[in-house]
Amino acid sequence: MNQQGDNAPILDVKALHIRYGAFEAVKDVSFDVYGGEIFGLLGPNGAGKTSTLSAIEGLLKPVSGQITVAGFNTREKPLHARANMGVQLQATSFQPELTIGEIIRLFASIYGVELGEDTIREKLAAINLEDAAGKKIAQLSGGQQQRVSLLISTIHHPQLVLLDEPTTGLDPQSRRQLWERIEYFRNNGHAVLLTTHSMEEAEAVCDRIAIIDHGRIIAIDTPAALIEKHLHDPEVLKVVRKGKVTLEDVFIGLTGTAVRS
Amino acid sequence: MAALLRADFTTLWRNRRSFRLVLIVPLIILVSWKGLVDKLGGVFVLSSCITIGLTSIGLMGYSNAIARDRDRGVFQRLRVGPVSSWTIMISRLLVQIAMIMVMTLLVFIGGYYIDHIHVSPLGYIAGLLMSLLGGAVYLGLGQAIVGRFKNPETVNSITRLVYFIFIMIGMFGELGLLGKETQEIMSWSPYGVVREILAASLEPSAWTFKTTYALLAAVAYTIMFVVLGVKWFKWENK
Ligand SMILES: Nc1ncnc2c1ncn2[C@@H]1O[C@H](COP(=O)(O)OP(=O)(O)OP(=O)(O)O)[C@@H](O)[C@H]1O
Ligand SMILES: [Mg+2]
Repeated sequence: MNQQGDNAPILDVKALHIRYGAFEAVKDVSFDVYGGEIFGLLGPNGAGKTSTLSAIEGLLKPVSGQITVAGFNTREKPLHARANMGVQLQATSFQPELTIGEIIRLFASIYGVELGEDTIREKLAAINLEDAAGKKIAQLSGGQQQRVSLLISTIHHPQLVLLDEPTTGLDPQSRRQLWERIEYFRNNGHAVLLTTHSMEEAEAVCDRIAIIDHGRIIAIDTPAALIEKHLHDPEVLKVVRKGKVTLEDVFIGLTGTAVRS
Repeated sequence: MAALLRADFTTLWRNRRSFRLVLIVPLIILVSWKGLVDKLGGVFVLSSCITIGLTSIGLMGYSNAIARDRDRGVFQRLRVGPVSSWTIMISRLLVQIAMIMVMTLLVFIGGYYIDHIHVSPLGYIAGLLMSLLGGAVYLGLGQAIVGRFKNPETVNSITRLVYFIFIMIGMFGELGLLGKETQEIMSWSPYGVVREILAASLEPSAWTFKTTYALLAAVAYTIMFVVLGVKWFKWENK
C-alpha cells in the first residue's frame, strides 16, 4: 500500500517543533500512525493539536522535525504527501456561492477523481443527504455540513485521514454514524488521526491515543493501558468520581485541573 | 487547474452585485458623458471609463474576494489538497483578467453605439493590450492592500476609499477642475498613467514622449505593488 512496504507507518512525525513568533506551541512531538489504526490526539485547549495537524497538512512550516506521509516527506514532496491525505480542518468553510454538488466535483478533481452527477448523488445518499447536491452549504445544518465535509475529505480514499474535532457539535446519532464511517476506513487499512475533547469518543473509537499538553506529548498508549497504568496515581484518584477510574480522570490527572486560556 | 478555474468563474458569476458594479459603472459614465464627447474627445471618454472599470476590478472585485475567502478559510481548505498556492492564485487572477477583457470590450462596444466613438482596428487592439497592463497596476494595488490588511471589513473600506479618491480626484483633477498642481500630480498617479496609456494606445498617432514615461510609470507601479503585495500576503486568517 505505501512506498516503504507494509510495516511502515503511514504517518510518521519525528521531533516536531512549531513556533509562533517567540511562542513555542509544539515541542519535540513524535508519534506515528499505522494503517488500520485510529489514533487520537487529546489535549486541553491550546495544547497544540491543531498546530501539529497544520504542520502535517503543510499549512505551516515547523521550526524543525520530520514528517512523512505514505513515504513522502512533507517538505520535500509536499504535493505527493498531500495527495495521500484527506483533511477535515477544525474550522473550514467551502465557497458559499457554490452548490454542494459543485464543491464535491471541485475537490474530487483536485484529487484527480472524476465524478459524474449520478455518483455524486449516490455518495450524498450514502450520508442521508440525497437532495443536497443543488443546495448551498449554508442551507445545511452544522451536523449535515460536517457529514459533507467528511465525504469531501475522503473522496479520494486517502491512506491518511486527518480529522480535527470531527464530532464537535454533532448529535449522538450523527456522532455514531461518523464513528462508523471512521471505523470503516480503519477496517479498510487506512490510517486515521483525529483530535477530540471527548474522552468517551477516545475510548470508544481510538486504538491508541496521545495526550498532549503545553505542546508536549505526555503519554502515548491504548486507552485501556493508560487507565491501567495510572490507576493508582494520587493525582488521578483525587479527581475520580463515583469510584471508577475513567480515561477522563487519567486525562485530568495528567494535565491538571486548571482551565486553559 | 481547470476545475479550480470553473469554480472561480462560477463564484464570480454568482456574486452578482460586484459583477454588475464592475461592468455597469463604466457604462453609466459612458452614457452620462454622451454630451461631452465633442468637448473631451472620444478617446478621453473611453480611456476614463476603462480606467474606472479597471480600478473597480482590481480594488473591489479582486482584493475583496481574496480578503473574504481568506477570512472564511476557503483558501486553507484548498491548500491542504495537492494544489500549489500559485495555482490557487493564478486561477483567481485569470478570472479577473477575463473580467478585464469583457469590461474593456463592453466599453468599446458601448462607446461605438452609444457615444459614436470610432477608433481604428489597431487602436482597439492596442487599447485592449494596454487595458491588460492597466489591469495589472490595479490588481497589484489590490494585492498590496489585501496583503497589508487582514480583516475583510478593513479591506473593504480601504478599497472603497481608494476607489473613491481615484475617481473623484482622478477625474476632476485631470480635467483641471482642482487646479494646475493637482492636475499634474494626478496625471502621474496610478489613475493618470493608466488613463494616459489607454488614451494614447486607442489613438496611436497621439503617442508622445510623456506617454512613454507614463507607460514606464505604469510598469513601475505594477512591480512595486506586486512585490509588496506578495511579500505582505499571508494565507491564514489568524
Ligand atoms: N496563528 C497563530 N499565531 C499565534 N499563536 C497561535 C496561532 N495558532 C495557534 N497559536 C497558539 O498556539 C497554541 C496551540 O494552538 P492550537 O490551535 O494548536 O491548539 P489546540 O490544541 O488545537 O486547541 P483547541 O483544543 O482549542 O483547538 C495556542 O496557545 C494558540 O494560542
Ligand atoms: Mg484545535
